[in-house]
Amino acid sequence: MSIALFVLRRLGRGVFTIWFAVTVTFLLLRLLPGDPALAVASPNMTEETRAALLTQYGLDQPLIIQYFIYLGRLVTGDLGTSFTQSIPVVDVLLQRLPWTLVLTASALVLTVLLGIPLGVLAASRRGKAMDRFVQILGVTGQSLFVPSVGIALLLLFGLWLRWLPIGGAYDDAVYGVAWYGSVLQHLLLPALSLTLIQLGSYVLTVRATLIDALGDDYVTLAKANGLSPRRILWKHALRNALLPATTLIGLQLGFLVGGAVLTETVFAYPGIGRGIYEAVTQLDFPVLQGAFLLLAVTVVVANMLTDIVYGFLDPRVKTA
Amino acid sequence: MTAPIPEAALEPIPEPIATGGSRASRATWRAFRKQPLGLLSLAILGILILISIAAPLLAPYPASYGTDVLKPPGGGYPLGTDALGRDLWGEIVWGTQQSVLVAVAASAIAIAFGTLVAVLGAYIPKLDAVIGVVVDLTLSLPVLPLMILVAALVGPSTSTIILVVAAFSWPEVTRIVRSQALAVVKLPYIDAARLMTRNHLWIIGRHVVPAVAPVIVVSVVVTASRAVLSAAGLAFLGLGDPTTWSWGRILYEAQASGAMVSAWWLTLFPSLAILALVLSATLLSIAYNDARNPRNHDR
Repeated sequence: MSIALFVLRRLGRGVFTIWFAVTVTFLLLRLLPGDPALAVASPNMTEETRAALLTQYGLDQPLIIQYFIYLGRLVTGDLGTSFTQSIPVVDVLLQRLPWTLVLTASALVLTVLLGIPLGVLAASRRGKAMDRFVQILGVTGQSLFVPSVGIALLLLFGLWLRWLPIGGAYDDAVYGVAWYGSVLQHLLLPALSLTLIQLGSYVLTVRATLIDALGDDYVTLAKANGLSPRRILWKHALRNALLPATTLIGLQLGFLVGGAVLTETVFAYPGIGRGIYEAVTQLDFPVLQGAFLLLAVTVVVANMLTDIVYGFLDPRVKTA
Repeated sequence: MTAPIPEAALEPIPEPIATGGSRASRATWRAFRKQPLGLLSLAILGILILISIAAPLLAPYPASYGTDVLKPPGGGYPLGTDALGRDLWGEIVWGTQQSVLVAVAASAIAIAFGTLVAVLGAYIPKLDAVIGVVVDLTLSLPVLPLMILVAALVGPSTSTIILVVAAFSWPEVTRIVRSQALAVVKLPYIDAARLMTRNHLWIIGRHVVPAVAPVIVVSVVVTASRAVLSAAGLAFLGLGDPTTWSWGRILYEAQASGAMVSAWWLTLFPSLAILALVLSATLLSIAYNDARNPRNHDR
């Protein structure tokens, strides 16, 4: 398959996935018990404001027409108005999005940086004590509840040792280079919590695929050719084993975003997740709806980009 | 929240096992008995289920406010008290009941629906194409924010949480069961069954479902533990049933009242409870998978 066709197909699938997310949201809002008008109009509004909003969003129209009005509004980036802040939901969320992106991206980088060496360590000492240890860590890591990890780190490093700040994303009182330093300081604990819950399954996957790769014929050939075990492990087997591990990261992006929502809540980190928490307490439905759609689009775009980049790096992806 | 399916639960089964049979299950049980971690997890799960059944005998329901606010563990309170002076031990005990209930109910619904969809899809290829796409798309979306939206709209209650968690857990079940079912329906004995009867439901019920049963057992355990995490996640965001105690609600109240920073017991014990339940369920599924592998049976 040519690379252009491959990229086009991935783009098409991304658009299709986003359409699916939007349609599911629309159907959930309209068909669930509960007042669909809640998604745009607060019960606290006056009767006239409420009626005007309902007409504006076409909620007095038949379902199918409502659907197209809904699609049309989303395409133009209209996610409604926040009940509590009386500004467009898009503005509320877009100013929060960068923090969520920074948090999840650094958690991903940390996961890969820690996960690959741990996976290699376990696979190259298969059946030994180190392998058992890494496996136990991996399984335990998968069973952790995100807020529990966050709270534990917060109590330990934030309150008892006082090494790191316990909440927020930056220090108001500093400027320039020091500001970036404070951003890093505030980022460390949330990113670490998110990494810890993600790391287990990543390490176990790297380990399993690497063990598979080490049993392949080309590894035997490389051994017969007298290549050093180190070189075979890192240069040959690992490169082939990384494809499934990368695919796993893509599959888990949705899960990672869920983890980010909980982590941001623990650390009062001003991303979309903390926004969701605040919107829940205030029953701000337009924000909740917009947050899901924006996060869905983010996940889809991130997945698409990884796939395309990986398609250039690894020819197997294009044919798969 | 959708935790990733443990890698061990996804390890390919050596070959589609056509008939379970009582001899095979006895061999599985013999192999399982030799795994200390598997037995330990089974024991922990058993204890948690006992606690949830015996909750009224173990502690009075912590409803009223007490005067002993934020007492550390010890004295009259084995696990301490919360910001409103309620006994944490009672909250944990009653929270166990809620967590076990949500896990059992949500995973039962998700398993029943997910298996049905998977098996029907495997049996009817045209349907399978659609199911495959829907499952892939759902799994690629951030499910927790969607659960939050739905739970907030419908209003928090135990039945809402069960239904919401089940509604977004079945695709994972379908994905696991489907890959096995697709292999099973291609086997000769299914063709033979088709020659014997035109009753497709009978073939599905008598031959396809039993053949995928081991995968279903694994996904029951995995889905249930994920349901606990999802329900706790929703409760931690304030979407738990406000009239019932749950582990997530204890954490939510500790965070919301600000007691979290001074009273370590308020976050440690519910966290340990969640970890005990989820970890033992995960270990149990791994041990069961190992025991089911005929290579680990002694002849």
